[in-house]
Amino acid sequence: MIAIEHLSKRFKTAAGKDHLALSDINLELQSGEFVSIIGPSGCGKSTLLYMIGGFVPASDGKILIDGRPVTGPGPDRGPVFQEFALFAWKTVLQNIAYGLRLQGKSKPEAEERARVLLRMVGLERFANFYPKELSGGMKQRVAIARTLAYNPEILLMDEPFGALDAHTRTHLQRDLLRIWEEHRKTVLFVTHSVEEAVYLSDRVIVMAAGPGRIARIIPIELERPRQRSELMFDRRYQEYITEIEGMIDAFEAAAA
Amino acid sequence: MSRDSKLLGLLPIAGLILLWGWLAASGMAPKALLPSPVAVAQRLVELLGQGDFWAHIATTLFRLVTGFLIALVAGTALAILSASSEVTQTAVNAFVRILAPLPKIALYPAMILILGFGHSSKIALVAIEAAFPIYLATYQGMRNVDQKLIWAARSAGASRLHCLLFVMLPAAAPSILTGARVALVISCIVVFLSEMMSSTEGLGYVLIDAARNFRTIDMFVPIILISALGLGLGAGLSALRKRLLTGYPQA
Amino acid sequence: MSRHLPSICAGLVLLLMWQLAHLSFGLSGLPGPMAAFAALPELISDADALYDIGQSLQRMAAGYLLAAAFGISFGLLMGTSPLAERLLNPLIMMIYPIPKAALMPILMIWLGIGDMSKILVIFLGSSLPIIYHSWQGGRSVSQIVVWSAAAMGMNRAQRLFRIVLPAALPEIFIGLRTGLILALITMVVSEIVARSNGIGNLLFNSMDMALYDRMFAAIIIIAAMGYALDLIFEAIRRRFLRWSDQQDQIQVAVG
Repeated sequence: MIAIEHLSKRFKTAAGKDHLALSDINLELQSGEFVSIIGPSGCGKSTLLYMIGGFVPASDGKILIDGRPVTGPGPDRGPVFQEFALFAWKTVLQNIAYGLRLQGKSKPEAEERARVLLRMVGLERFANFYPKELSGGMKQRVAIARTLAYNPEILLMDEPFGALDAHTRTHLQRDLLRIWEEHRKTVLFVTHSVEEAVYLSDRVIVMAAGPGRIARIIPIELERPRQRSELMFDRRYQEYITEIEGMIDAFEAAAA
Repeated sequence: MSRDSKLLGLLPIAGLILLWGWLAASGMAPKALLPSPVAVAQRLVELLGQGDFWAHIATTLFRLVTGFLIALVAGTALAILSASSEVTQTAVNAFVRILAPLPKIALYPAMILILGFGHSSKIALVAIEAAFPIYLATYQGMRNVDQKLIWAARSAGASRLHCLLFVMLPAAAPSILTGARVALVISCIVVFLSEMMSSTEGLGYVLIDAARNFRTIDMFVPIILISALGLGLGAGLSALRKRLLTGYPQA
Repeated sequence: MSRHLPSICAGLVLLLMWQLAHLSFGLSGLPGPMAAFAALPELISDADALYDIGQSLQRMAAGYLLAAAFGISFGLLMGTSPLAERLLNPLIMMIYPIPKAALMPILMIWLGIGDMSKILVIFLGSSLPIIYHSWQGGRSVSQIVVWSAAAMGMNRAQRLFRIVLPAALPEIFIGLRTGLILALITMVVSEIVARSNGIGNLLFNSMDMALYDRMFAAIIIIAAMGYALDLIFEAIRRRFLRWSDQQDQIQVAVG
């Protein structure tokens, strides 16, 4: 479980002024919950994710994971970035085995588990390829497998499909849901796409900018497992999307 | 690069040699001042048949490579130190800022007096000159490593030290090798100059010795050889780069 | 001030290390910094030496400015014409590792020990990095910007001077800086080789005559020249590149 209490973040701007990026964030995530964060640029949604990851320190307030405060990065929270962030000098298999090797597993043991994950993301034929030889969608599959390999309880996904084309994106969303249904990890998913957020999540958090804050939390009461093709014709799905898009437009108009 | 464009690149070089040959043959320049390219090539082959001459080449190569390798290790080590914390970064860069604009060659007489007239003073000069571009390239490369790569490794359980040595350093490998390339050219230049200024062996000495005795033809040979040495070592480094950077984009 | 504080401290630490080395080695060839600085006034007040140094700097300026004019135009030509690039790249790569000061003895035989050979060797010594960086700078100018200029009706010459040159300027300045440092070094080394007048000769003569205080004073003068040229250059660069987001980079004295 993730508990966030009165969290805020201030940055020093280049001119030396204080900039309040996030103001008084309060949030609770249940174990196994899939939650998306959406909002206009500059609302601090990625910063919030980085703070939970322990990459960026908080200015005020605290973040508790199962009651323990976050002091830095740890293998209980696995990040997946839009930029993939793969090790260019390692093969696909070595990338995935990386975390396992760090945990002290022997090479054959780590590689065996890596192969299982590789099969899960459908890339078993590419074990000995280098990341540069893969397409964007394949790279992101490798990155997801690398993070899943060390079995974090929480996945922190920072616009993971933002750099992919529409077709690849749909495939990866479907596969992510399939994997999530199997393992039921807690997922915090930052995105720009309202449709993606509604399709994937149990709850959608809508943030507003200036200063970054949580504006609304919307539970998505659609049955699982979800089929995208069916949802397209579902009135409730369409209404969620229209409602959230309207909200974001209103916040942006108010801020401008 | 295609074969055609490689041939195209040889044209100006061939043209230059032809111009040189024509100038020498036309008699505008006396033979003593400008030997013909054929005569220089013959002399080169003749000298390469002599053991003494190979000793000079070996001496230069030894000083060059030793100095370069010391610079590679020292420059990289300093860059790792510099990237490890804010304090070390400020400290190391303060010294680099002071020493970088200094023409290090001015320190050469001091090195001779301290280290002697033998190998060590030349190697020291080469190492000091070559260390700076390697340090700067490695430092810039490590600073520019994608923050998220480091975060991904830290989340997987990597310690700071592990990140420094096994994530940031390999991620900076292309920059390190670019710095090494610059450093190699500098090493060639510096080793030759140091031998010209004070030495009793090496290619630089061969040139100065020929100059003192007005043997023009023997002055061309070491210059051609140092250029060949630079090209050869550069090609070796390129091959190494290709091997080492298999996975990297635009290797 | 606070920005320079670490460097000032580093400078003091280096002086201290020099002093410590002097005390612990006890070599006559390594006088302490105090003795070296004490020998400075005598050297600077020597009218002949000053005149020689002035002459050297004039030759260096001439060689360097020629190299800048030639190097920038040549480099931009290579950067904007693929044909020129393919023709000249191998030649440049072949000439780069040759120490240009090594040509000094040959040039002396051809042209005598006068100004011509010295200016020429400085020109050769500093032009390669200027060519190289202008070439890289010209290459990296976005083709789209050049196309938009062509669409606006600029001809080839206008495009080169009003679009490519300014856009390549940050990179050109890197080459100019390296070239400047190389000009200084080539000047010093060619004076050492030619054993003619100038600071390089002063340096090695002092060593040969075992006037070590004087030798280290000469080193201080060369170092001061390096710093002075660096400061002047940086001021000029800032003036030209106010628009560029490039921070001041540490530059290396090459050669």
